[in-house]
Amino acid sequence: MTPGTITAQITDYANRADPYPLYAELREQPVRREDDGTYLVSTYYEVRNLANDPRLSNDTRNRPPGYARVGHPAEETGLPPSFIFTDPPVHDRLRDTINRPFGPPHSPRFLDGLRADLATVVTELLDAFEGKDQVDIVEDFSYPLPVTAICKVLGVPREDEPRFHIWADALASSLDPRPGGDDGQEKAQRARQDMGAYLSDLIETKRRHPGPGILSALAPDMTPADLEATAVLLLVAGHETTVNAITNTTLTLLRHPDVLERFQKDPDLAVPLIEEVLRFEPPVQFVPWTTALADIDVAGTTIPKGSPVWLMLAAANRDPKRFEDPDRFDPDRKDNEHLGFYTGIHYCFGAPLARIELHAAVPELFRRVKFSGLLEDPPPYRTNAVLRGPRHLPVAIEGLTA
Amino acid sequence: MRLVVDLNRCQGYAQCVFLAPDVFALHGDEALLFSPRFDEAQRDRVEEAAAACPVQAILVDYSDEPTRGAEPHVG
Repeated sequence: MTPGTITAQITDYANRADPYPLYAELREQPVRREDDGTYLVSTYYEVRNLANDPRLSNDTRNRPPGYARVGHPAEETGLPPSFIFTDPPVHDRLRDTINRPFGPPHSPRFLDGLRADLATVVTELLDAFEGKDQVDIVEDFSYPLPVTAICKVLGVPREDEPRFHIWADALASSLDPRPGGDDGQEKAQRARQDMGAYLSDLIETKRRHPGPGILSALAPDMTPADLEATAVLLLVAGHETTVNAITNTTLTLLRHPDVLERFQKDPDLAVPLIEEVLRFEPPVQFVPWTTALADIDVAGTTIPKGSPVWLMLAAANRDPKRFEDPDRFDPDRKDNEHLGFYTGIHYCFGAPLARIELHAAVPELFRRVKFSGLLEDPPPYRTNAVLRGPRHLPVAIEGLTA
Repeated sequence: MRLVVDLNRCQGYAQCVFLAPDVFALHGDEALLFSPRFDEAQRDRVEEAAAACPVQAILVDYSDEPTRGAEPHVG
């Protein structure tokens, strides 16, 4: 990537706090070719159609040599890619298997059954705000909840959770396309190996002594390597994205006092409000790991076979051809078919868990905490342009209700 | 409280089943079953499910509930 290209600007940390003007510029040309042959697609209908197009692959091994093979562990590791980086039929076989202990039709009540536990965690986190006049919403609230949630889903003992924070951070940053510097990639490979070693022990233990969580349920049906890749994916995806969703909701509400006031009078507003944040500030901003398997005609442009394609979800979510007044945060928006969780066969596997976490966290946060305002706006962001969100969200608080 | 799912729009994402498993169910991998009437205890879950539907195929109707639908007759 040469400096000055729009991908360089999007990944440039200087634009992290507000990438939306760049996305608006992108939409002027719905399918845009970068100098290195990467295509960026940024308008709603084009993104949605491509995400549902079987000629678009999530397996980056379909890229010609020289392009980043996101999601594929180096060959010498012997590890398979996780199912997000595979295509049918392998993808469907893995996802169906993993879904069996996780969701309908076989386990429709598994996640619903976690609601009470998650509510308890939320209560404990908020109780700890007592006596403080300022908190960091990321460290003190958004970060701990998803770790606990995903560990419960997998069946990871809670005392091992702190190790997952560190591994998940390193792995999440490897999804971030950054010009130059392979340091992040190497760190990610190491984290993947360390986490892999831990998980293969845990999987072996679960195989012999089944306990709660999906790892025990899946151990008889999957190879240890596939199960390990799945666990790594769910941990990484379960961490960063939900942290960002909770933090972005808090930030957006504190930036819109009129909506906040309504929400405090009418807690039912949580439901449309959370969906609107997923449109307005999606935790996964774009999907830079797809590849054209054939020449694909989109909006008057032909994307040649083998081209890396970036699907710009956050840009599509603000396409004025689909959403009226798209830069306005409007929880009353009807027909909010946002792409915050993607669409098609790779629709976010953890979306229902994320929603359950958001519904456990957001209404209770704003019911119990009286905020006096943001202490930094914009807050400091993480470096990651894909899984974009604040690193810290310092807020001043006036009090806590029981 | 009633609901209806536009089964022509439904694409089997099953988000509603995850969020309100006592009201929605999957039969096999794709066929969606639902109870068109639900009670107060399910209301929050049904609201979440309707909002979460990726293709917005779920319509919830409160017109038989005086406090939320049409204003009750006063006087």
